[in-house]
Amino acid sequence: MARSLQLSLTVNGEAVELSCAGYKTLLEVLREDLGLTGTKHGCELGECGACAVLIDGTPQLSCLVLAAECEGRAVETVEGLSRGAELHPLQAAFADLGAAQCGYCTPGILMTAKALLDNERMPDRERIKEAVSGNLCRCTGYQQIFEAIEEAARRLEHESHR
Amino acid sequence: MPFELAEPRSLREAIASLDAKDPSVRPISGGTALMLMMKAGVLRPSRLVSLGKLGLAGIRTGPGGELRVGAMTSLRTIEKSEIVRKGWPVIARTLRTLANVRVRNVATVGGHLAHADPHMDLPPVLSALGARVTIAGAAGERSIPVEELGTGYLETSIRLDELITLLEVPPLGGRSAAYLKCTTRSADDWPAVGVAVSLDFQGDSIREASVVIGAATDKPTRLAAVERILVGRKLDENLLDEAATQELSVEGDLHGSAAYKKQLIRVYLRRAIHEARAQSR
Ligand SMILES: Cc1cc2nc3c(=O)[nH]c(=O)nc-3n(C[C@H](O)[C@H](O)[C@H](O)COP(=O)(O)OP(=O)(O)OC[C@H]3O[C@@H](n4cnc5c(N)ncnc54)[C@H](O)[C@@H]3O)c2cc1C
Ligand code: FES
Ligand code: FES
Repeated sequence: MARSLQLSLTVNGEAVELSCAGYKTLLEVLREDLGLTGTKHGCELGECGACAVLIDGTPQLSCLVLAAECEGRAVETVEGLSRGAELHPLQAAFADLGAAQCGYCTPGILMTAKALLDNERMPDRERIKEAVSGNLCRCTGYQQIFEAIEEAARRLEHESHR
Repeated sequence: MPFELAEPRSLREAIASLDAKDPSVRPISGGTALMLMMKAGVLRPSRLVSLGKLGLAGIRTGPGGELRVGAMTSLRTIEKSEIVRKGWPVIARTLRTLANVRVRNVATVGGHLAHADPHMDLPPVLSALGARVTIAGAAGERSIPVEELGTGYLETSIRLDELITLLEVPPLGGRSAAYLKCTTRSADDWPAVGVAVSLDFQGDSIREASVVIGAATDKPTRLAAVERILVGRKLDENLLDEAATQELSVEGDLHGSAAYKKQLIRVYLRRAIHEARAQSR
């Protein structure tokens, strides 16, 4: 049995304490120990972006991060995106504009886009492409995804003027 | 696979946590390469020594105008740095197409240089620019050219109880530099060939040339024959073609056969020289 690890971190704004096997990746801890299966298991090699979460506000690949290295850090996953029963403008725009088909890539793209919109109010198409580049989508096609992120940026901007 | 994670607070403590004889004790920086080696089963660490709390991140210029980048600086921070974009644009440009943004957010320049996968992009660029790294060990610090870091596939001249602490890149001065890579279709986007050139043009001729290739040999390799042809005369592309792969033992891999890579080197060498020349105007 692997040495077990005591870990305390913040997940979606809540303090979490757990013990798990020391070799686990953050992806494994989120899905297996915390039951947060919104974050997807894709290539496991850093290539697809399906496992992207925010660590201290920065998009990172949870399949390449040791959970042990997340001690004391703030992790955000797709489960924390909605505000209660109300979808986050990114989620709503993805649904309204058909930016998700099978949805496997969607959590990683939503979190990557959230980090972008947290830092820039109205990023242009180039900035959006750069931010989500390497977040692979095998069915929707990227056009709708870019458009949905632009639409979400407009809705967030609109909200901020209300 | 049980292992311990050490989180030293000082460089001295970090070096003391390493083990000169035990390769299962490894430093961990961004962990992007290390995690892949662990998943592939080629590394089974007994202890990982995290370098995150040593204060080794940061970018500034030194007294001689050189770029000084702390080993724990992320590749993304370097790519976005105004200092780097202005003074060493070839580095910022190279980083834009290295792996993906989320890997660059985490991967560090120290880990990048220590990993010594010959397909990596920065080692040829930094070698062509004449960059050096500072390596710290129990006995103190030493500084070596980036070019002397790699000794073979995933092998370096860094001892097991030493750490890279700093990267230093001399000012470009009058040189113009370019890096071009050919990425064939593969899931991981690693290059089949990378060609870095740093050229000091004087009118139509070249005063000083530095040419280093990656991804085609077991470590980044300087093309000395090409440099000799380039310096002090007008460009002769036929001579160049011959020199490009002379004395080189090119290795085929899943990104291309040796013959294909040789052809790519000839083509990309010309293109890189033209790009550097275009910049010098
Ligand atoms: C999906 C993917 C695609 C990639 N594509 C590219 C690409 O296109 N081009 C490219 O160039 N690279 C590419 N890479 C490789 C990437 O550049 C490296 O994984 C990264 O730079 C390693 O940095 P790190 O900080 O994560 O190192 P780590 O994984 O932390 O460490 C790597 C190695 O260096 C040792 N080490 C770490 N820090 C130090 C130090 N300061 N001193 C001494 N030893 C140290 C570790 O023990 C380990 O052996 C890719 C990686 C991934 C995952
Ligand atoms: S599962 Fe992490 S990048 Fe693909
Ligand atoms: S919606 Fe299926 S992979 Fe993107």
